[in-house]
Amino acid sequence: MVPMVKKTRLNDLTSKLLGGRIWIQASFLLVWLDPLGLRWHSMCSPVFHCYACPLATFACPIGIIAQFSALHVLPLIAIGLLVAVGAVFGTLICGWVCPFGFLQDLAAKVPTPKFDLPKFTGYGRYVMLVGAVLAVPYFFGEQHPLFVCRICPAGALEAAVPNVVGQAIAAQQVVWPNAIKLTILGLFLTAIFFMRRPWCRMLCPLGAIFSLFNRVSAFFLRFDASECTQCERCHQLCEYGIEPEKTPNDLRCIRCLECTKCNPQALTLASIFERSKVTTAPTQE
Amino acid sequence: MNAKTKIIVFGVLVLLGAALLAYGAFFHSTNVLPQQGGDSAVLAKSEPALIKEASVGGVTRDESGKIKQTYTGQAPAACPT
Repeated sequence: MVPMVKKTRLNDLTSKLLGGRIWIQASFLLVWLDPLGLRWHSMCSPVFHCYACPLATFACPIGIIAQFSALHVLPLIAIGLLVAVGAVFGTLICGWVCPFGFLQDLAAKVPTPKFDLPKFTGYGRYVMLVGAVLAVPYFFGEQHPLFVCRICPAGALEAAVPNVVGQAIAAQQVVWPNAIKLTILGLFLTAIFFMRRPWCRMLCPLGAIFSLFNRVSAFFLRFDASECTQCERCHQLCEYGIEPEKTPNDLRCIRCLECTKCNPQALTLASIFERSKVTTAPTQE
Repeated sequence: MNAKTKIIVFGVLVLLGAALLAYGAFFHSTNVLPQQGGDSAVLAKSEPALIKEASVGGVTRDESGKIKQTYTGQAPAACPT
C-alpha cells in the first residue's frame, strides 16, 4: 500500500481559480490604480508599482527602502510589511497580485517567439537588491545614476511616460526622462514581447525579497512523489525553466501554479495549516 | 523542515513583520530640518509622514548627515527621479 494525499479544499479552489489568473491580476488593479483617488502614499503596498505614477494608491516598497537607505533611516513599515506578507504568501504576490507582473503576462500573450533565460540570470535580482536598492543609495545617495528609481522600468513606464504625455496635452514644456531611463524603457518594452517576465526573472528586487520566503511561507508548493508518474509534463507547463518536481519551492518560482495542472496532481498548492488527509492506495502489481 | 517547524517559523515571521509595521507606523519618528532655518526648527516626522515626503523627493541627507527638507512651502508634486 502506498500513502496518497487526498485533494484538499485549497486544491479545489486553486484549480478553479487557475484559469482566471489573468482576471484576478486585472481585478487587483482596482486596488493599486487608485480608483477612489486616495493617494495613500504614507503607506507601502506589497507590489512593484511606482509611487510617481499618477494612478498609484500606495508607495512602492522598493522605492521607499532605497530612499530610506539614502537617508540612513531604517524603513520599518516597508520591512515589516514585506516580512509579514512574504511569510504568508511568498511569491504568490508576484504571480497573482503584482501589476507589473500582470503587464508582462499580458505582453507575453502576444504570439512572438519566446526566448528562455539562463538560470544564473535569476541572481541578478539579488545583485539589484543589494546594489541599487541598498548599497548605492546608502553610500552615494539618491543622486547616483545607479539609484534604483533612476534605472527602474516601472518608474519609466508608469510615471515618466504619463507625465510626459500629461505635459504635452496640457501644452506645458515637456520634461523628457534622461537617456538612461529611455534606453531602459525601450529595452524593457522590447524584452517583454520576447521573454516571459524578463524584469521579474532577472532584476526585480521585490521578487528577490519574496523569493526568500518561498520555503517557509504559509502557502507553498507540495510535491507528492507517490503521485508522480515522471512524465515531466510539469517541465513543459512551467514557463520559467524550473523543474518543479525537483525544487517545488525554487527561488525563481513566481507561483503561477501552472505546474499544478499536471494530471496526476503530484504538485499542489498547500498551506501549513491544512491537515492533509492521508489515505492508502493499492500498489500496482 | 517538518510541519511544526514551518508553523513556528511562519508565526515568528508574521509577528516580527507585524511588530515592525506597528512600531514604524505608530512610534518611529525621525528628525527633519527645514530647508531654511537653523537646527532650532527641527521637526520630528513620523515614519508614514517621512514615507510621503520621500515619495516626492521632499527630503534628502546633507553632508553633515542630517535629514533636510528639499522645499519650502508646498511639497513637490512628484518624485524627481
